[in-house]
Amino acid sequence: MNRHFWIPLAGVLLCVAIVIPWAAMAAGGAGGFDGVVDAIEDHYHAHATRIPLMGLASLVANSTTHGGVSGVRVAEFEQFPGPVDGAELNQIVEEKLGQGWGRIIRETSRKGAEQTLIFARPEDKLLGLFIVDLDKHEMDVVEVSVDPDQLNETINKYEHRAQEEDSN
Amino acid sequence: MKRAMCMAMGTLLAAAAAWGQSGLPLPAPVEKELAARASDVTEVTLDKNMLGFAAKVMNGKGKDDAAVKQLIEGLEGIYVREYEFDKAGEYSAEDIAKLRQAFAAPEWSPIVRTTERKGAETTDVLVKQVNGETRGLFILTAEPKELTIVLILGPIRMDQLGMLRGLGGLGGALGPMGPLGPMGPLGPMGNMRHGSHSKDKSDDQTKKGGDQ
Repeated sequence: MNRHFWIPLAGVLLCVAIVIPWAAMAAGGAGGFDGVVDAIEDHYHAHATRIPLMGLASLVANSTTHGGVSGVRVAEFEQFPGPVDGAELNQIVEEKLGQGWGRIIRETSRKGAEQTLIFARPEDKLLGLFIVDLDKHEMDVVEVSVDPDQLNETINKYEHRAQEEDSN
Repeated sequence: MKRAMCMAMGTLLAAAAAWGQSGLPLPAPVEKELAARASDVTEVTLDKNMLGFAAKVMNGKGKDDAAVKQLIEGLEGIYVREYEFDKAGEYSAEDIAKLRQAFAAPEWSPIVRTTERKGAETTDVLVKQVNGETRGLFILTAEPKELTIVLILGPIRMDQLGMLRGLGGLGGALGPMGPLGPMGPLGPMGNMRHGSHSKDKSDDQTKKGGDQ
């Protein structure tokens, strides 16, 4: 094996490493939150309102929940055009969401007016959640990272307080 | 070079095979047919990765938390399917038979089978026994307008099973567990201890212990 073998091979591998991700992006568009929202907009000819200053809201949420909630992203479709095929919606979301996400909950009605999809993925100590919820003509798409431990403690705190109030 | 390529291909194939095994081990056509006829479908899928993560993040401080953590960290998957129908008769006895057929392997044994209201409502509970250990649980509840399937795979301690409803307390993130809630199919299993198969409903007919 000499450099006449390795140099062309390295060149080919470099091209593959650059071209394949670019081709995938070009063919399928962006993935993740924006990819899903864009795909839903395209497919159903609907317009999503991305909540402004969400980064600031996310910071506030992170602070008030002591790190329990972070990375909040929300898009809202206010006049979503009618019922959808649940399987089709699921396929669109799964394809665009990308690897690492697993669907944990799906609720679908045959008439198509109500659909809920909840995907999750472990993010180190956090749990990433991606939620798509359609209720008649309103669809919400939410991405959030939660710290299950922190959130559990917060919920327990409020549960105890509610129990105390009930007993009084 | 060839060997490296073969190894890479082998790794990819193994990963693909592992990914393919992560779904609900039921015949896909049956699921699709039922979903197509149902007015509402609820699916809960917690695979090994998600359960592993849940176990990892549970602090196990409380007594219940520790027991739930111990229970779920060995599980391979929890699958719930709930099909609601507009009217009775939208699924057939044949559909039920196909679902039962999927668990007709020797390691699966029926432990409870109840028939109520002259056959209109049935409940099947099967356990998977491997070397004397319970390694799976399948519950099929059929009512005229509702069909519920619960499948839990992995080592299970029957006396801890009722604690799975505590999974809903995982920071609320896994909260909407639907049929895994207190009144769901796992509700009556909460008090079931290994080896004692009691059921306190007044059934028309109750069969126990593999007399199918």
